[in-house]
Amino acid sequence: MAGALSVSALVFQDVHAQYGPYKALNGLTASIAEGESVAILGRNGAGKSTLARVASGLVPVASGHLSVLGRSVARTAPHVLARMGVVHLPEGVGLFSGLTIEENLVLRVGGASRSARRRRLAMALGGLNDELRSRRRTKAGLLSGGQQRLVAVTAALAAEPRLLLCDEPALGLSPVAGDEVYAALGRARDLGCALVVIETRLDRIEHLCSRAIVLEKGVAVYDATSSDQGGILDALTGSRGVS
Amino acid sequence: MGVFFGYVLASIPYGCAFSLVAVGLVLTYRATGVFNFAFAAEAYAATVVYSELISHGVQRGWAAAIVVCVIAPVFGALLDFGLFSRIAPGNRTAKTIMALGLTVILPQIVETAVPSNPPVPPAPFFSTSFIPVWRIGGDPVFGSAICEVAGTILVLIGLVLLLRTRRFGLPIRAAVESPKLLELSGVDARWVLRFAWMISTALAAVAGVLYQVGSGATVDPQNYDLLLVVSIAAAALAGLRNLPIAALGGVLLGLAEGLVQGYVPSSSIWYPALVPSLPFLFLLVLLIFHPTLRHLEDTIDPMASIEPPPPVPAVAMRPPIVDRTIRRMRWPFLGVVVFGVILFVPADWTEALTEGAALSIVFLSITLLTGLAGQLSLAQWMFAGIGAFTTAQLAENRHWPILLAALAGALVAGVAGLVAALPALRLRGLPVALLTLCLALLGDDLLFPTSWVSNGTSGVPVPRPSSIFGIDFSSVDSEGFFVLTVVVMIAVAGIVHLLLRGTTGRALTAVHASPIGASSSGVQIRRMTILVFMLSASIAGLGGAFYAMNQQTVSQDSFVYYFGPIYLVVVVTIGATTVEGAITAGMAFALINNALMNVPQSVGGTQLHSTALTVILLSLGAFTYAKHPEGIVEYAKRRLAKTVFRAVEHNDHPLVSAEDSA
Repeated sequence: MAGALSVSALVFQDVHAQYGPYKALNGLTASIAEGESVAILGRNGAGKSTLARVASGLVPVASGHLSVLGRSVARTAPHVLARMGVVHLPEGVGLFSGLTIEENLVLRVGGASRSARRRRLAMALGGLNDELRSRRRTKAGLLSGGQQRLVAVTAALAAEPRLLLCDEPALGLSPVAGDEVYAALGRARDLGCALVVIETRLDRIEHLCSRAIVLEKGVAVYDATSSDQGGILDALTGSRGVS
Repeated sequence: MGVFFGYVLASIPYGCAFSLVAVGLVLTYRATGVFNFAFAAEAYAATVVYSELISHGVQRGWAAAIVVCVIAPVFGALLDFGLFSRIAPGNRTAKTIMALGLTVILPQIVETAVPSNPPVPPAPFFSTSFIPVWRIGGDPVFGSAICEVAGTILVLIGLVLLLRTRRFGLPIRAAVESPKLLELSGVDARWVLRFAWMISTALAAVAGVLYQVGSGATVDPQNYDLLLVVSIAAAALAGLRNLPIAALGGVLLGLAEGLVQGYVPSSSIWYPALVPSLPFLFLLVLLIFHPTLRHLEDTIDPMASIEPPPPVPAVAMRPPIVDRTIRRMRWPFLGVVVFGVILFVPADWTEALTEGAALSIVFLSITLLTGLAGQLSLAQWMFAGIGAFTTAQLAENRHWPILLAALAGALVAGVAGLVAALPALRLRGLPVALLTLCLALLGDDLLFPTSWVSNGTSGVPVPRPSSIFGIDFSSVDSEGFFVLTVVVMIAVAGIVHLLLRGTTGRALTAVHASPIGASSSGVQIRRMTILVFMLSASIAGLGGAFYAMNQQTVSQDSFVYYFGPIYLVVVVTIGATTVEGAITAGMAFALINNALMNVPQSVGGTQLHSTALTVILLSLGAFTYAKHPEGIVEYAKRRLAKTVFRAVEHNDHPLVSAEDSA
């Protein structure tokens, strides 16, 4: 493994997972250290989204060992993992469209005490741009796709995550909106949270992530520094074997 | 002014009960995505418990009310734990079917356990409910009315305060959109939903007790139909979203109902028509014109893709040798069954089998409309009634040949289907179920009781055909009619099978899956909707005609609306996507009912009714629906296909092995 650190935020050991009869992870083995930022790449159906869903507890582990933030969590409920500091921004928007921006932030920030919640909410509102802050009582479903994604990322960061899982954060966004989202993720990385970004575009991850893992049919087939674009491309096109 | 004020004063307590139920319906729908048709059944069950507690030694009404308010939330939590939490969040059909199953089964269980209607219970806080406590402008104010109004205000204030909290209110509103997304926010969505069910069931219990003590009648489940319909109308007025409007709507509808009852003279020809149908007509107008209701089911859970895909159909898993065997053996097998029935089965069982075949024809209409087009219709039994009454009137009064009259009955039912299809063009999902419930209740209350339709309670005789194509049935009455009904059933099954497999079936499946996608692929959605409604209503009408012929008479009690939801639940849980499912459901209902007629009528002082027991038995199937939404027949076929595949091929079918590994 490239860039191995002493403490692991996420460890998959021969993990299998499936949706009904359809297998999505077929013995995935990979680990991500605390504070590390890793990109997950692969073709459609390779198991990228399933990796994030398994790590956040949405999809149970069928067999194998999964450890999140130092704790074995094969069948731990998503809300327990969220309270441990795992934040998952799923593919799409990741907001409740029927709730206002502020209500979405309130739900996400959590916090053990009222003062902690207030502090995090203030931070989240401060992280929004002026336009979104002025529309804090607008329903999230009425915002544009890029604005919704920005609110979702801001809410995720306000939850002070220890492990942030982002599934195609810039999917469907304009280049400018995508850059804004990635800039926000960069801030999360700088705060020391472990970052897992599922992406299909290599140019996006090169500056954000230090490592890249390529998945194929539910297993990791390549693991290298993200600057190794040639090797990653070979792995994605299938011209390179398991590393 | 004094009279008007008197009517208003008398109506407000009723409006309060409607208001509570409407708020409960909206709250449950918003928090859990379940439109709780069982709300009235829960209210009735709670009232029976309240009444039984008082008649069995609990001296104080308030003490009995407290016990009910403790039991009800526990029951709500159990409903969620045992039933609703097991349904995939995006499966709205399964949620509706489960609620309908509960609507059917709960009153039956309560009535079986408490056979005689309990007496009218006293109000929780006034031992003499019907002695005026105050007089306002000369009009009396009774203790029960004070209880209803004060109880409603207190409950609504408590609910508003609860829903404004960050800890409960916000998660409840978020849970309906996506429980999984809520989990990712660190909130235990299971408990949020369970809590919503607990509040909802407690509201039903309070509304039931207050409604009953105000009405002053014995505790009868039929009294709760009006409570449900008016409350649905109030909830619809609020677009199933806005709790304050639902509460206000309940009170206003209670007032409207009271004023109409007060001002329209009971001797007027309008009274029997207008008074019972007012809430249905109001609901009908709302369903057609309320913009929010039209887009009620447009929201899709963004996390729906996490749920496992539906299981592979059994037909895709069968080894070729099984298909060949079925093709070769089906007609000889059917012949053996029919001749076996003619030669060996006693007359009462032949009658039951004929009823099963007639019911199967009606159920095939559900296969078409629900299994194929994905529309939940609660009016199929009403269409069957229209076919039956048309057949009976044409044969009895116009002396038409009975089979020609049956065809005419099917056509008239088809026209009624067109009437249902026109408003359904603007609606999908739950609003269609509500619309068809409205139509079924209107048919039951307005159409079927009229003398020119049903000849009152005495009914209309329906002859059986004496001969067809020169074959004389008169000497072998029951067997001959059995063969004829089975032939018609097979013909209808063949038509439905061809529709399921053909271009029309594919188009309807596409409309069900994605109306926009189907439309962009060139499917004419309006034409398809009208076609499927008319065809399914015609099939139901034909089935109703044969059902009436088997009964040999048809009266206003033959097609009560109540059986519409029962039959829908039975067909969907046994299998609404295949013709085998509909035929199995029809036969199972008739045969189990016939078998249970022979059980003792009373066990340990509890009265047993064969139809009630059949309904309970078959409605229990609804509770398998959460796990097997494909239906019991399809599930059994898949299991059988796996076993046969292994036995015949000595190898694993790829789909079989994939499922095993799951």
